[in-house]
Amino acid sequence: MISKTLTAASTKPIILGILKQGSSYGYLIIKKIKELSGGKMQYSDGMLYPVLHKMEKDGWIESSWSLKNETRPRKYYEITTLGKEALHQEQSQWAQVNSVLNQIWEPKTEIQ
Amino acid sequence: MTDFNSDKAIKAWLKQFRKHPFYDDGSIREMELHLRDHMEELVAEGVSEKIAFEQAVEEFGSIEPVAKEELWNVKPKTSLRSILHWVMLKNYFKTSTRSLFKNPLTSFINVFGLAVAIGICLLVYVFLAWDNSIDQFHTKKEEVYLATTYINRDGDLEQNGRTPRPLGALMAQDMPQVKQVCRVDDGPVIIKFRDVVFNEQLRYVDPNFLDFFTFPMAKGNKKGLEDLNSIVLSHAMGIKYFGENNPIGELVTVIFGENNKKEFTVVGVAAPFPKAHAIAFDFLVHYENLKTALPEFSDDDWGAFVSATLIQVDDINQIPQIKQSMEGYRMAQNKAQPDWSIHSFEFEKLADLHKVSGRIKNDISYDDNLEGRIGLPVIALLMLALACLNYINIAIVTASKRLKEIGVRKVIGANKRQVIVQFLLENMVTTSFAMLLGVGMGIFLFLPWFIGFTGWDLELNTMSSDFWLFITSILLATGLLSGIYPAFYISKFDTVSIFRGAQKFGKNNLVTKAFLGVQLVLACTTIAVGIVVAQNNAYQSQKQWGYQPDQLLYSALQKTKSFENLKIALEKHPSIQTVVGAKEHVGLTLDALVLSHNSIQYEVSSMSVGPNYIETLNFELVAGRSFIDKKESDKQALVLNEKAVENLQLKNPIGALLTIQNVKYEVIGVVKDFHFHNFFNTIEPMVMQLTEETKFDYIVLRTEKGSEQKALSLLKKEWLKQNPELPFYGGHQTETWGVFFEMIQKAKDFNAIIAVVAVFLAGMGLYGLVSLNVSGRTKEFSIRKTLGAGLQHLSSNILKEYVWLTTIALLVGGPMSYIVSKAYLDMLFAYPMPLDYSGILMALVVLVVVLLLVVATQVKKVFQSNPVKGLQAE
Repeated sequence: MISKTLTAASTKPIILGILKQGSSYGYLIIKKIKELSGGKMQYSDGMLYPVLHKMEKDGWIESSWSLKNETRPRKYYEITTLGKEALHQEQSQWAQVNSVLNQIWEPKTEIQ
Repeated sequence: MTDFNSDKAIKAWLKQFRKHPFYDDGSIREMELHLRDHMEELVAEGVSEKIAFEQAVEEFGSIEPVAKEELWNVKPKTSLRSILHWVMLKNYFKTSTRSLFKNPLTSFINVFGLAVAIGICLLVYVFLAWDNSIDQFHTKKEEVYLATTYINRDGDLEQNGRTPRPLGALMAQDMPQVKQVCRVDDGPVIIKFRDVVFNEQLRYVDPNFLDFFTFPMAKGNKKGLEDLNSIVLSHAMGIKYFGENNPIGELVTVIFGENNKKEFTVVGVAAPFPKAHAIAFDFLVHYENLKTALPEFSDDDWGAFVSATLIQVDDINQIPQIKQSMEGYRMAQNKAQPDWSIHSFEFEKLADLHKVSGRIKNDISYDDNLEGRIGLPVIALLMLALACLNYINIAIVTASKRLKEIGVRKVIGANKRQVIVQFLLENMVTTSFAMLLGVGMGIFLFLPWFIGFTGWDLELNTMSSDFWLFITSILLATGLLSGIYPAFYISKFDTVSIFRGAQKFGKNNLVTKAFLGVQLVLACTTIAVGIVVAQNNAYQSQKQWGYQPDQLLYSALQKTKSFENLKIALEKHPSIQTVVGAKEHVGLTLDALVLSHNSIQYEVSSMSVGPNYIETLNFELVAGRSFIDKKESDKQALVLNEKAVENLQLKNPIGALLTIQNVKYEVIGVVKDFHFHNFFNTIEPMVMQLTEETKFDYIVLRTEKGSEQKALSLLKKEWLKQNPELPFYGGHQTETWGVFFEMIQKAKDFNAIIAVVAVFLAGMGLYGLVSLNVSGRTKEFSIRKTLGAGLQHLSSNILKEYVWLTTIALLVGGPMSYIVSKAYLDMLFAYPMPLDYSGILMALVVLVVVLLLVVATQVKKVFQSNPVKGLQAE
């Protein structure tokens, strides 16, 4: 199980990553996260919404109501340019963390 | 199972969101869709609707934390509302009132001290508001200007409110920018209605006077002044002459001089003047009546002046242009009167006239409030500072009793800012109590006292927006000033050290001590000023006038020729030693003239006196001789005072020749400087010359010692016998300064009260601090007592804390008191007493006594307390 702190820290990059692949709505986003993590990241579903709204407020994502090909209306979120930039930054930061951890944990790197 | 209604269940679940106002319909719909999507999927997997609902709700999680997270999105983090929300105003109101009643003594010191200071501030506010509104009721105050002149006097330019007589008429005629002109002149007359006869000042004005000055009228109309035989009365004069009767249409007699009287019809009576006024009148008649009053009157006489020339302009931007066009008048005036040559003209707006009036000589307005405008705000701020310092000191020390509470608040999540806000808001509650009490004291105590004391018609308008602005600013200012330091001080403490008990609070706080020190210095200064003013009063009343006023009586002759007859009648009485006459009499009237010496011009005061005047008043001759009766050459002789000799730089004054209007006069004597006016005024250069009996305006007599009263009734009786129609105007010479002694007595009372309040505030602050300090050391004192500590030991132990502080405060306060007292006396008195250290020493003693008394009460408390109880208490 992934810790709560780490889950919380990674929520925004994960959402941005999902939305980069195409617009989506709340229930689908959370379902996707659960699938991707194989249930290892534990969320209460409701907590996703304040995060989405905050991201929207910060201008990273945009929302619109849509009725297209659906049985019921849905509130779709899509990533903005600002959001893409933010995602880019997040990616490089996570990569750096990853490389630091790799250097410490891989014995070869340690010897060199 | 079949009973389950999913719609109903979802609706009930959504209700929990609706409790939070920031969830709008769109957001709630989003939550609903989430739940339905989830349920739909679960149902598709084969679970029942009910279980699907329960599972979806469970996975959604509890709503409260979600809503709390959402709140951060919708609310700006630091809005005032959110702060208020966070700090729970209501809670603080409760805690602050609770702590007010828990420590009644310190609360009283805080609240009452602040209230006294706020009351004084209110008084000062009322005074300033009143001062600001003086003469502001005239509707044309922005368009009406007073013409003034600058005259070169011994190298200094002096602004004068009197203007050449022909100026007004010429300006009206020559200048299209000037809409209209109003001339004002004044003169003494006697006014008679049936049996009522008084000496009065008559104001001769152009008929548009009441259009320039919009005094409200009670009866009659303003137009009436256009008639040469009409007179307008002030409200007070209406009452004086006619009581409750309607005076309109009544005839009054105005006596301008001997065999020169005229009847006027009353056409108007003014309503009581608005309380805030400087310009006023008793009687108004048409300007042209000056021709009746002064038989030699000429409109074109550049040598004559009027009390005021006022102009009204449509556009105030034309004033500079008007000023530039005054050159012709200036030259005409200077040609006619080279001795009074005008340097330039200046125009003063009616709206500002009262405030600038202090620097203009002889203008129709006046300003007695300059000292008040400067001094009173200083006193108010001083008192507020003392009260706030008390508050700060006590707040810091009391906080030690609340350390645990602050610790707990911090542990449950209050950050530094919240502690500060809590403390400031609590403080605001306390200051609000003080505010209410202070405004009450201001209105019902200080204001009536101050009005009675100064005689000023102050009025508080509680409906004005300025008043509420003042109240709010005082509340905020005192709340913040007194609270900000303790708030920051308390908030910065570390929770852990609070609970460990390692936090030492207040006791050795340098700032607290510094504040107390400042208080002691301020208190010391105010007490010193109070004492020094009282000492100076005693000094002033003992001070020599430069002549002997004690057995002197005087009476105005009021343009009658009765001097000789009165003299003959009075000289028969053995109690009257000498009877003399004069045109100007010391203490009452004074003339001025311009002297030339070595081609330099000097403006000096002058008196024209009869023979023996100098001897009768006992002026001390330091050189030469006095005037000799009927000596022809003495008609061109002068007696100077020492100041005149000094200013004219006469090395050998006797025999020196001085020129007055091209006539040479010889100096025959020099008298020691004497006080013509009271001791507020400096002694000016003065010359005396001999005048003939027909010009006498005063009769002056010296009586036997002890028979002054008897002589005065003789004088009155004789006057009545010879002038049955004329009022008697005279009295004891010592009374000519009555107002002066009354004023310095009032100044003494005022300073005494301020000093008492300052001592009271400082004493209360000290008392609060010492008693808190002692109560914080109950355990220590109890142990000391159990171990056998006696009275002496306990006293020195308590006193020790304050000895150094007091010593330092007094070392600073002593010299400061000296400097402030000296500056205060120098500002008010032209000849203050030579300042010694006795007043300052007395102030120091008073302060030390107060300190000892305060400590003594606490020592007594400790000494009488039961140590066992003291040890149990903690």
